[in-house]
Formats: sequence, C-alpha cells, structure tokens
Amino acid sequence: MTRKHRSVHRALWPIVALVVCFGLVMALVLRAPPRVESSPAAQEMRK
Amino acid sequence: MSVGFQAVQWNRAKYIYDAVLIAAVVVYLVGFMGIVATIHPPKSTPEWIDLRIRALGTCAFLMLTIILSIGPLARLNPIFLSLLYNRRHFGVLFFLIACAHALSMVQWFAVQDALPSLVEELTAWENYFRFIGFPFKTLGIAALLVFFLMAATSHDYWLNFLRPPVWKALHMLVYVAYGLIVIHVALGIMQRDHSAWIPIMLGASLAWVSGLHIIAGQRERAGDHGQAPSADGWLSAGPPGAIPDKRAKIIAAPGGERIAIYRDGDQVGALSNLCAHQNGPVGEGCIIDGLVTCPWHGYQYRLADGCAPPPFTEKLVTYRVRLRGGAIEVDPRPLPAGTAAAITVPREKM
Repeated sequence: MTRKHRSVHRALWPIVALVVCFGLVMALVLRAPPRVESSPAAQEMRK
Repeated sequence: MSVGFQAVQWNRAKYIYDAVLIAAVVVYLVGFMGIVATIHPPKSTPEWIDLRIRALGTCAFLMLTIILSIGPLARLNPIFLSLLYNRRHFGVLFFLIACAHALSMVQWFAVQDALPSLVEELTAWENYFRFIGFPFKTLGIAALLVFFLMAATSHDYWLNFLRPPVWKALHMLVYVAYGLIVIHVALGIMQRDHSAWIPIMLGASLAWVSGLHIIAGQRERAGDHGQAPSADGWLSAGPPGAIPDKRAKIIAAPGGERIAIYRDGDQVGALSNLCAHQNGPVGEGCIIDGLVTCPWHGYQYRLADGCAPPPFTEKLVTYRVRLRGGAIEVDPRPLPAGTAAAITVPREKM
C-alpha cells in the first residue's frame, strides 16, 4: 500500500468502528421488547 | 505473472484453496440448516426459505469477517500470507453467497405473492427518517452493490486498467460496506429475533475486525515516520552485513514512500517497496532464483535494475546506493523505473 492508502486506512478504521458500534448499541437499546404470549388464565381474566 | 492473457491462472495451490473454501461453505450451510430444521422444523415453504435466508446470511457475514481479517493478520504475522494469496477467490465466493441471500429474500416474498409489499417497504420514504424501522434491506442492497463492484473489478485486467492506487482505493469501500452490513443485521433480524447470539455475533465480529485493523495500522505508523537524511540528503541503512542475505531492510525518508534495500550476496540494490502489481510490500519478500519476489502474488524483479525478467514488462522505481564509512546509504530521490542502480560491495567491507 502507498503511504496515502495507509494514512486513509488508519484514519478510516477508528471512525468506522465508532460509528458502527454506536449504531449497534442504539439498535440494541431502542429495540422493542419481545412480545410475551399471554397465558390462558390471563386471557380468561380479560374476558 | 503471465506471458499471455488467461482468465484465471490456475495452479495446484489455487485448486486446493478453492476446494477447501467451497467445502467449508457447503458444510456450514448444510450444518446450519440441518441443525435448525431439527430443532424448529419448518412447516411451510416460506419457513424453509426463511431458514435458507438465515443460513446464507450468517455464512456471508462470517466470510466477510474472515476476508477483512486476512489483510491485517498478514501484516501482523507472515504466516497468514498464504491466505492473502487467493483472497480474491474468497471475495468472489462471498459475493455469490451474498447474492443467493438477497435472491432468497426476493423468493420469500414471491412465493407468498407479496412482491408489492417488498417494493412498498423499500419505497416507504418516511421510514428513511427513522432509526428503528429504517428500511434495513436498503443497507444490504447498498452493500451488495459495493461487493458487486469489487467482484466485477477483481480481475487483474481491471487492476491494470484502473492502476493499483485507484483500484486499491475502490476496494477500500469494503470497509464502508462492512459497516452497512452490521447495521443491516442490527436493524433487521436483530429487531425481531431477541436471541442473544445475534448481538454477540455482531459485536464480536466488529471488535475483532476493527481491533485488528487499528492494531495493524498503528504498527505500520512506526514504519512511516522515516529517518532524517544526512546533510547531502542520503539515508543510512547501516552496514551491508546488517541486511540479511536474500532479504531486505526497509527504510523511508520523512514523508516519503518506503524503500526496500535488498542484498543478494555482495550485491546491494534499493527498489521501491511498492510492487507494480498491487502495491504489495516488495521489501517483505525475498530473493528467489536470483529475483526479488513480492510476498503477495510472487511478482519478480531483477535487483540490478528493478525490471521484471523478459518477457514481462513490469518495472520498479530504483534508488542510487553507495557504500560510505562502512554503511550502505540510499539517495531517497527516485530514479526512473527500471534504471540500473545496484552496487557490488567488496567482500572485505561486508
């Protein structure tokens, strides 16, 4: 690799890592909670 | 290197590499689908296609993680150079797996007569302003376009046509595409499937790949500092005996490209560290059959003048070398490619 490519590479990777890591963490934090199947007893109560 | 045009220069090593690669992919796909289908048997055609989508998707992601690890691993330890040698075949196979994943997704909609829903999902413009709910398939499509561009230009014809610096810059788009893929999975399947293995897979891959690239990049930084030249602008490389026989010592002037100073017995010559093929690190190779050999793909050059042996036409930039005060010195001002500049060091001064 040329010196220029190495410089771009060194600058790019920390940015890619930070941005993607931030996106991944936000996608985890903001995701909707899993749907809980209601039990037959709870369904009976609702009636 | 080849005298004439050949689509792919097959040899035994490439056959073995590709056979192992294809076998590993088949084992992974069959194993993944077999295990999951045993635990949660699919009940309908769309469920079978969904299983195939997951198998191909995880396979492609794993392959991309390995492909992105080969470069920095080879920088950190030469033992991984053998993986680098055929990385383009690995990349093309990865692209085919990624294509199969995308086509399976289209098939999943098609078998349910729901293709309009797919179009609707991709053209719900208001969703492009949301984070959760962003049309994640668009990220996958964007990454697939980058991978297509890379696979389509992976042949040496395009390398020669675009020239190594442009080709390399184009192929560095893979880093952006990798980021798009991680977010594609995080905003896609990870939002619906709450099993822990998806964030673990994504986090581990991201930490591994970015960690390797950052460590390798920092190690390379030391080699780019360069050494201060003497009053007349020459760089010292130390005594001739300090350069291992049939190997090179790599030096650089501040702000300049690296120079590979090779020694072959009593002959010492300085060449550009950039291979004419893919800008590979010529100085990290060795002398084979009397020729300087690049460690990446085996391109060879004469030490005397940096020219590839006939009938090949590649040439490297050379540098003037002199022996002064018992030390080899190099003039960092490059000579035209192919200029004879190597010297013979008297035995008593080795």
